Amino acid sequence: MDLLRDLIELFGICAVAYFAVLNVTYIAFTALAWRSITAHLRGRRFSGVNEALASPLTPPVSVLLPAYNEEAGIAEAVHSLLALRYPEHEVIVVNDGSTDGTVARLAEEFDLVPVGKALRESVDTRTVRGTYVSRREPQLWLIDKENGGKSDALNAGLSAARYPYVCAVDADAILEEDALLRVAKPIIDDPNLVVAAGGIVRIANGCTVERGQVLDVRLPKSRLATFQVIEYFRAFLVGRVGWSRLKSLLIISGAFGLFRRETVEAVGGWRTDTVGEDAELVVRMHRHLRERDEDYRIEFVPDPVCWTEAPESLRALSRQRRRWQRGLAETLWRHRSMLARPRYGALGMVALPYFVLFELVGPIFELASFVLLPAAYLLGMLDTSILVAFAAVAVLLGILLSVAALALEEFSFRRHTHGLEVARMLAYAVLENFGFRQLVDWWRLRGLWDVVRRRKGWGDMRRKGFAALTPLEPVRVDSGQWTVDSGSARDGAVDQSVEHSAEFVRR
Amino acid sequence: MVHALQDASLALALAATAFVLVLVLRRMMLTREERARVAVEERLREQALALVDGDPVALPDLDRGEAAIFARMLARYSRQLSGEPREHIARFFDGGGHVDHQSRLLNARRVWKRASAAATLGDMASPTAVPALIDALHDPEREVRAAATRSLALLGASVAVEPIVAELAAGRVQRAVGGWALMQIGAPALTRLRGLLHHDDASVRATAAELIGLVGEASDSPELIGLLRDPSAEVRAKSAHALGRLGAAQAAAMLRGALGDRIFFVRAAAARALGQLGDRPSIPALVHQAQTDRFEAAQAAARALAELSPDGLSAVAHLPTGNAHLREAAGLAEIL
Repeated sequence: MDLLRDLIELFGICAVAYFAVLNVTYIAFTALAWRSITAHLRGRRFSGVNEALASPLTPPVSVLLPAYNEEAGIAEAVHSLLALRYPEHEVIVVNDGSTDGTVARLAEEFDLVPVGKALRESVDTRTVRGTYVSRREPQLWLIDKENGGKSDALNAGLSAARYPYVCAVDADAILEEDALLRVAKPIIDDPNLVVAAGGIVRIANGCTVERGQVLDVRLPKSRLATFQVIEYFRAFLVGRVGWSRLKSLLIISGAFGLFRRETVEAVGGWRTDTVGEDAELVVRMHRHLRERDEDYRIEFVPDPVCWTEAPESLRALSRQRRRWQRGLAETLWRHRSMLARPRYGALGMVALPYFVLFELVGPIFELASFVLLPAAYLLGMLDTSILVAFAAVAVLLGILLSVAALALEEFSFRRHTHGLEVARMLAYAVLENFGFRQLVDWWRLRGLWDVVRRRKGWGDMRRKGFAALTPLEPVRVDSGQWTVDSGSARDGAVDQSVEHSAEFVRR
Repeated sequence: MVHALQDASLALALAATAFVLVLVLRRMMLTREERARVAVEERLREQALALVDGDPVALPDLDRGEAAIFARMLARYSRQLSGEPREHIARFFDGGGHVDHQSRLLNARRVWKRASAAATLGDMASPTAVPALIDALHDPEREVRAAATRSLALLGASVAVEPIVAELAAGRVQRAVGGWALMQIGAPALTRLRGLLHHDDASVRATAAELIGLVGEASDSPELIGLLRDPSAEVRAKSAHALGRLGAAQAAAMLRGALGDRIFFVRAAAARALGQLGDRPSIPALVHQAQTDRFEAAQAAARALAELSPDGLSAVAHLPTGNAHLREAAGLAEIL
C-alpha cells in the first residue's frame, strides 16, 4: 500500500510538472502567434501579392492532384485548380489506379488525348500506364498509373512536373482563388531560401460551396465537426504559426503544400511506407538541409486558403486521430537520431523533444491523470479543495487557450461573419473541455497501441462530399495506401488537416 | 497550495472573460466603423469626384476620422486612374501637407508605420515623394522596401530604376515586386537598364538582361549578344532568354554556339530562344540536344523543334532514336 502511495505521489509531482511545462508552452505559443499574425496582417498590405500576380518574374508552379476514385468531384476540383489566380501554373492529375470512372470523367470534361510525357523518374513509382493532355486546357495533364497510394501518386506527379515548384493538393480540398499565390509568397520573396510553404486548412462542413469556392462561411451543423473547428484554430493559428516562427515547422498539411521540386527529389520524394507522409517529408527535408549546413526556411502562411471536410461521425474521427498518432510515431521513430541533437537546431532541441513528450506520449500521461488523481483522492492523499482547484485551473486554462485562439481568428481573418456563430464557437470552446478533449486523448492512446501492435489498418472510406452530400459507398483496396494526414490534434502543433476523401483498409 | 490554485483559477476565469468581452466590443466597434465609413463616403463622393475632375471643391469641415476616410477614398481612386485626374489627386495631397506628413513617417520607429507611409505615398500620386521613397529603398525592413518599390512604380519614377535593380539583384526587394515595378515604369526604365548590363555585379547584369527581354526592343540585341560570352552562367542564360523574347534574329549564330555551353540551363535557354527565333539551321543541333542532353535542356530543345518544324519533329520522334522528349513535343504539336 505504501508503495502504491509513493507511486501515486511521484506521479502527482510529475503530473504537476508536466501540466506546468505544457501550459507554459501553450501560453508562450499563443503569445508568439499573436505577435506573428499581427505582423503578418500589417505586412500583408505591403507584401505585393497583386504585384506578384502581375509579375513576369514569379516562378511557375506544377500543381499535383493525386486522385483515387474521385469520379464524383474530380472535374470540379480540376476546374477550381485551373482557375487559380497565378501567373503560370500547370495542373497534373495523377490517377492512382482508380476503379471508378475518374479517368473517363476527366477525358470527357477536358477532352483529354494521349500524349507520351517525358518523366524524370528521379523517384521510383508504380508503372505509369499512360499520360494525357487536355486539348481545351493545354496546361492540364493526366498521369494514369497503377495503384500505389497517395505518396506514390505524388511521386509520379513529381516526375512529370515541368516547373521548379510543386504544389501537392488533396482532391477534396477547396482552394481559395488566390491560395496558390498566397502560399507561394514566401518562395516568391526568397526563392533561394524558402524550400517549402504550407497554409491554413479550415473546415468546410456547413459552408456554402459552389463551383469549387467557399461562398458563405458557416459553422457545421454537426457538433463533432464544430469542436474540430475550435481545434483547428488552435492548431493552425497558434501551433503552426508558433513552430514556423521558431523555424521548426514539422508538418505541412498533405491537403495543401508547396515544395521546391529539386529538394523533394534530393530527399527521395514522398515515402510510401508511412501513414504520415506529409510530416515525414518535411522532417526529412529539414534533416537533409541541416546535415548539409544549408541556409533554408520552411514557412507557414496563416492566410486562410484551403478548406476541407471534417469527419462527422465518432467512428471516422476516431480512425483519423489514431492514424495521425501512428503517423506521428512513425515519423518520430524514423528520425529519432535527430532528437536532442544541437546539430538540428531548434528542431532537434525543442520541436522534436516537445513532440515526443507532449504529443506522442502525452495521451498516456493525461489519461493516467484521470485515473490516478481520483485514486489519490480516494486514498486520502488529496484534499477535496486541492482536487477541485487543480481541476478548475486545468479546465480554465483549456478554455482560455481556446478563447485566445478564437480571439486571434476574430482579430485577424474574421471569416465567420455571423455574430451568433461566434457565440456558438465560444460555447464550444468551453464545452470541448468536458469530454471531447478526453475522447481525443483516448483515440490517440489507441493510436499508440496500434503502433505497439504494428497494426496497419486504414478503415473504410465514407465521404459526405461538399456538393452532392451523397455518401459514397465504402471502398476497400488491398494494395497501396491512400489518404492520410498525420499528427495529432491536441495542441495545434501537429497536423490538423482533415482526412483525405478516402480511408482504406490495408490488411 | 489551495489558495494559489484558487487565485490561478480566478485569474484564468477573468482572463477568459476579458477575451470574450474584447471580442464582443471589437465586433461592435468594427460594425460601427464600417457603417460610418459607408456613410462618410456616400456623403463625400461628389466632392471626391469633382476633385478628381479638377473642378473647384468646397470641402465641408471634416473631423480627423472623416478626413482620413476621404483621403483613403481618393487614394483608392488614384490607383485606378492615370493622367490629369491623378495629377489633381496629387495636388490635393500636396496642398494639404499630406505628402510631407507621410514622408516624415518614413522615418518612424515602427516598421508598419514606415511601410504604411511608403505605400500611401504611391497612392497619393505626388512625384515630390520620389526622393524620400528612393531613400526608403534602403530601409532595413523588407516590407518598407517593397512598399517603396511599389509606390515608385506607381509614380513612374524612372530615376528609381537603378536603385530598384540594385536592390533586386541584392535580393533586398522581392523579385516579383521589383520585376513588376520595372515593367510598370516601362520604356523610361530601359535607358537605365541598358547601363546596368555592364555592372560589376553579375546578378545585376542578369537581372538587367532579364528585364530588357521583357520591356526592351530589338535594338538592344547587340548588347545582349555580347553577354552570351559573360563569365556568369546566369547572365548568359538570361541574355539568351531575352534575345528569344526580343526576336533578335541576328543572335541566332551565337545562340547556336550557346547550345554547347557547359551549363545545362544556358543550353536550355539557348534552345528555347532558337525556337522563338524560328532558326531552322539549328535543327540538327537541337535534335542532338533533345536526344542526349539532361532533362531540362532536352525538353527545351524538343519544344523548340516543335516550333521550328512540327512535321520534321514528328518524323524524328517516331524513329528508333526518338526519345520521350521528342515524342512529347511531337504529340503536343499535333494536338495543340
